[in-house]
Amino acid sequence: MSTGLIGGENMQEVVVLGVGMHRFGKTGDAIVGEKSVTELCRHAVDMAMKDAGISWKQVQAVSAASSRFSGGKGWGLNGNDIVEDLGCTGIPVYNLSAGCAAGGNAFNIGYSLVAGGIHDIVLVVGGEVMPKGMIQTSGVEDANDPEYLRQRCVGMPGPAFWATLARRRMFDYGTTETQMAKVTVKARKCSESNPFARFQKAVSLDEVLASPYVSNPLRLFEICPVSNGAAAAVICSKAMARRFTSKPVTVATSTVATIGFDDALPRSLAGPVPSGPSFHTEAKSAVMKAFERSGIGPREISFTELQDNTCYYELAFPEEWGLCEPGEAERLLEAGETAPTGRMPINPSGGFVSFGEATTAMGVFQIAELTWQLRGQAGGRQVPDAKVGLAQTNGLGGNATAAILKR
Amino acid sequence: MDDSTNKASLREPCVPGLFSEEGEPSLHGARCTCCDTPYFPRVAACRNPGCDESRIVPCTFGGEGRLWSYSVADFPPPPPHRYDKPFMPYAIGVVDLDSGLRVVGQMVDAVEFMQVGSRVRLVIEPIHHEDGRTFTSWKFKLLDR
Ligand SMILES: [Zn+2]
Repeated sequence: MSTGLIGGENMQEVVVLGVGMHRFGKTGDAIVGEKSVTELCRHAVDMAMKDAGISWKQVQAVSAASSRFSGGKGWGLNGNDIVEDLGCTGIPVYNLSAGCAAGGNAFNIGYSLVAGGIHDIVLVVGGEVMPKGMIQTSGVEDANDPEYLRQRCVGMPGPAFWATLARRRMFDYGTTETQMAKVTVKARKCSESNPFARFQKAVSLDEVLASPYVSNPLRLFEICPVSNGAAAAVICSKAMARRFTSKPVTVATSTVATIGFDDALPRSLAGPVPSGPSFHTEAKSAVMKAFERSGIGPREISFTELQDNTCYYELAFPEEWGLCEPGEAERLLEAGETAPTGRMPINPSGGFVSFGEATTAMGVFQIAELTWQLRGQAGGRQVPDAKVGLAQTNGLGGNATAAILKR
Repeated sequence: MDDSTNKASLREPCVPGLFSEEGEPSLHGARCTCCDTPYFPRVAACRNPGCDESRIVPCTFGGEGRLWSYSVADFPPPPPHRYDKPFMPYAIGVVDLDSGLRVVGQMVDAVEFMQVGSRVRLVIEPIHHEDGRTFTSWKFKLLDR
């Protein structure tokens, strides 16, 4: 059947067979304590394999999301450590690095290996033990390093990027700080019924608006903190899946993209003034490719898990991808349409704002939530009759991924 | 020694070679004469994927522009940023210079005066002090204040 080429006609259909997660938390708390990234991942992987009904010896390859944020052999999560922990079977391990998009990249590589007929059963895993406080940059004092120049000459903390975009939206659409705060209220309401979320408690509008600015106009409760956590998914070819389940969740597509030359926000110090609106080009490109490749349109999406490092993204992304009309997001939010029971549910999991970000886990965390939703296993946060789910990540360095799952 | 030479001798750029304040305050950048793309800092080759032939020539950027958007450093950024203590929150502008360059820089004026769309001018100003030395960087100043 295969000609050896990966492309359209010759691709195998890929399904998600099982998913798992370790509840997110903060170093030293009652949830994750002092657990290592390997321990967190082991928990998520065991759960995913049990969910899939497979044993470790049946896994043919591992696609791991790797990062540089937490030391440990220098590069955070190392897929080889997971394999060593589960038992060295000699299988190939791919360690993917793409900042916060690494989990999405790892899923894409796993998907591509199965779709291309290279392997039948692949384990995708992401996990992180994050350092405390604001994520620091490389720390290298090199005048050729744009990140160094930006910090030395300007002093632009990470959240300032999001704040710049949010401020521009306030100018373009009249978005208010209260509307942005309402995104957090909606997200934290969802988290109440998610046993894997770090925060599982609703917050009031007043509480959000009383939280201090991290980077005006964005407040502490409107920006995801860093967390420790892990997520895993067992994916497999549809032909092979028949041995394990009668109702697998199908991967309609998985895509990866990087930032465009004309992006609105300069990656380093400066860029050309773009000729028109060109926001979040990496995310838009990944999602548009996903629509194109799957043949599924934005209006067929039952719900979306998108990267809400900040509540601003929940307003900006849906309209850029055609899920709603430009400038309509605030009205939909205030009408309750972005809640799980609305007509455009966004982040029913509670999102990054409720989980905190365990960088490399996030792309895989989204796959787990999509799977639970599509199986109807999402409890109090269930999107009624969810048929098609969209996931999207963004990562430092101009990375983005998207995936569409369907039942 | 008159006042201006004295002042200049006490000020030094936080990173040498990127900008200067002699004559007009300016950023040392480049422009591709093939596709007209502006660059700061300088690049060796044009990065525009739509450009037919990279032809980079050095040039400077300065003068006036418009505030496209801004953010606020409400907390001190991590190193290698350096700042005078106690830390004072400042606005960070993203400015569209009239010459076609969109560039990031600290704003001179206080946060409460910021308004998207305001006209601004590029200036060279102190960014922090250390061991009796004054380190400068480029910043933007509101014109109508
Ligand atoms: Zn050019």
